[in-house]
Amino acid sequence: MSWFKSAKPGRVASGRGAYRGNIARSVRYASSPLLASKTPPWRSRLLVAAVGLGFCVLLGRALYIQVIGTDFFQKQGESRYAHSLELPASRGRIIDRSGQILASSVSVPSIWAIPKDVDAGPQERKQLAKLLEMKPQELELKLASSPKFVWLRRQVDPQVALQIKQLGLKGVFQEGEYKRKYPEGEASAHVVGFTSAEERGQEGIELAFQQQLQGRDGSRNVVKDRLGRVVEDIGERIPPVNGQDIDLSIDSKVQFFAYQRIREAVAINKAKAGSVVVIDARTGEILALANAPSFNPNDRRNLSGNQLRNRALTDTFEPGSTMKPLIAALALETGRVTPDTMINTAPRSLVIGNWSPSDEHVHAELSVAQVIQKSSNIGAAKMAMQMQPREMHDMFTQVGLGQRPQIHYPGVVTGRLRPYKSWRPIEQATMAFGYGLSASLLQLAHAYTVFARDGELIPISLVKQPDEAHGVRVFSPKTARAVRLMLQMAAGEGGTSPLAQTQGYSVGGKSGTAYKQEGKGYALHKYRSWFVGLAPIKDPRLVVAVMVDEPSDGKHFGGQVAAPVFSQVVQQSLRLLGVQPDLDVKPQIVAHQLNAAEGNL
Amino acid sequence: MTRVNLLLLVAVLLSGIYLVRTAYDSRRLFSEIDRAQNEARRLDLDWQRLQAERHAQATNLRVEKVARERLKMRPITPAITQPTTDAQAASGGRT
Repeated sequence: MSWFKSAKPGRVASGRGAYRGNIARSVRYASSPLLASKTPPWRSRLLVAAVGLGFCVLLGRALYIQVIGTDFFQKQGESRYAHSLELPASRGRIIDRSGQILASSVSVPSIWAIPKDVDAGPQERKQLAKLLEMKPQELELKLASSPKFVWLRRQVDPQVALQIKQLGLKGVFQEGEYKRKYPEGEASAHVVGFTSAEERGQEGIELAFQQQLQGRDGSRNVVKDRLGRVVEDIGERIPPVNGQDIDLSIDSKVQFFAYQRIREAVAINKAKAGSVVVIDARTGEILALANAPSFNPNDRRNLSGNQLRNRALTDTFEPGSTMKPLIAALALETGRVTPDTMINTAPRSLVIGNWSPSDEHVHAELSVAQVIQKSSNIGAAKMAMQMQPREMHDMFTQVGLGQRPQIHYPGVVTGRLRPYKSWRPIEQATMAFGYGLSASLLQLAHAYTVFARDGELIPISLVKQPDEAHGVRVFSPKTARAVRLMLQMAAGEGGTSPLAQTQGYSVGGKSGTAYKQEGKGYALHKYRSWFVGLAPIKDPRLVVAVMVDEPSDGKHFGGQVAAPVFSQVVQQSLRLLGVQPDLDVKPQIVAHQLNAAEGNL
Repeated sequence: MTRVNLLLLVAVLLSGIYLVRTAYDSRRLFSEIDRAQNEARRLDLDWQRLQAERHAQATNLRVEKVARERLKMRPITPAITQPTTDAQAASGGRT
């Protein structure tokens, strides 16, 4: 204002003399000759309109951002500060009956890099390559493969990861990944199974209990600050649900011992494969289920091929002589024979059509008990021919043959038992000694629990069962006990498999040997040998079944090949279970005592 | 009137500063909790790993090997075992 005041009076005075001095003080701009220029009024209106339009545009934009496109912008804004973090759940463990870990997930670091950010010098690169156990060229190749992201090495040792961290290289990062560990290794590999690299069950218990083991990942939304620190939770947090632990019925000590013995037997007999099943006769729990050859589940490279098969559950074979005790039991149960009934077992004393069964050794006459002891085909066939096909079929079905075993495990086979209506007389006779039907080793062991349990068939289980099992009665206790005595004879002197004997424990069992089926007929020099038995005889605690496939070192009878394995497994297992020996053993404890005279020397 | 307004202004300012301070503190504490929780999880994973490693050191294979080779132990059989019954346990109680 003062500028105008000082400047204007002169101008006004010079411009219009008609103005009086006192008026000159209050300036009348409108009458100023400079301002009185003939500007057209539209110019100012245009300006007002332009400014107004500008405001309208701003208003419109504000409206668009705040009302119409608000969701989009909110989301964009949020993504600048909000982050969704995954909370990984860990897979459940697999534990044996005494708490030993059979499978467990551990977190192991994996090393990755953003190659374009890696600015390490040649010396540092060399160090890194050495720690990653690769050649420097390999490392360069990996870093050159992508500018944005590359795994340098997955699942490294925690120690190595620490050393890499201490190198402090830019652009090299670490991340925790889960890896499955199997401390027991190959001994329990078939039962436990294994997972894929993404921790999904592929085989065995890992597959059967995938649902329970898996767990569910959780998540949380957070606000992160400039430095990447979490400063606030947004919304609800979904906690991770860890997978459940699975308690198996397996006893890792029994399992390990059984595996060791069958592996040894397979090697000694130059066999193709072998299996052992150990069942606790009180609870029906499977204490061990081992196969050889096995594999190491910790090493991903050998997770394919035939060694993955859990042969005890997936391979079926004709059960052969191990069926005879069942036939004898049925004959006893129905009152057709007593253990002392004599049967004529002379060759060709039973002829069906123009076929007649034959025995390994010729006996003129045997009692029922001796038929089992000496494993006479003729005797067993003669007992079977007195029965109705239907009775036999029902009994086989009741002990689980031709039925799918009720255990939760992938790949369990049913075996084969044809309906009795289509049986021909010859088949009825051959079934008495185990040809014309098929079963897995587990089914055989299961069937023999009827003898161990005084005639009851108990359900078997791979998962820990705290209570004593209750079964379905198939035979009377009297019959079961009578057959147990026959089995003891078969495993004793004068029986087919005296090698099954143990020190201190009474055992009983039946061996079996069969030609292997090949195509439509039987292969001449390929055998399968097995032994199924129980111990101790008075109050059986264990049912053990052993099978050796294609022993080719001279010996091939079940009593020679499989019975020794049975003996060792029973001996160890009963001791591990703390069962007191029921037989007198000649003690070998020698007390060394120096007599006085020697002592003085 | 002016004095009351001034007083209110000061109050608003103070409460504003206090709010800033509290928000800062809460974020700082939260990030500390978060860090502690992460540490807890890491330790938990470590614990699991070490447990598995301990089990790997105590497998039956290794125990047997050590027992046989280093400790010169041999398997027991009933022939070299003397079964005994605890007299106290058998009579069913303490003396």
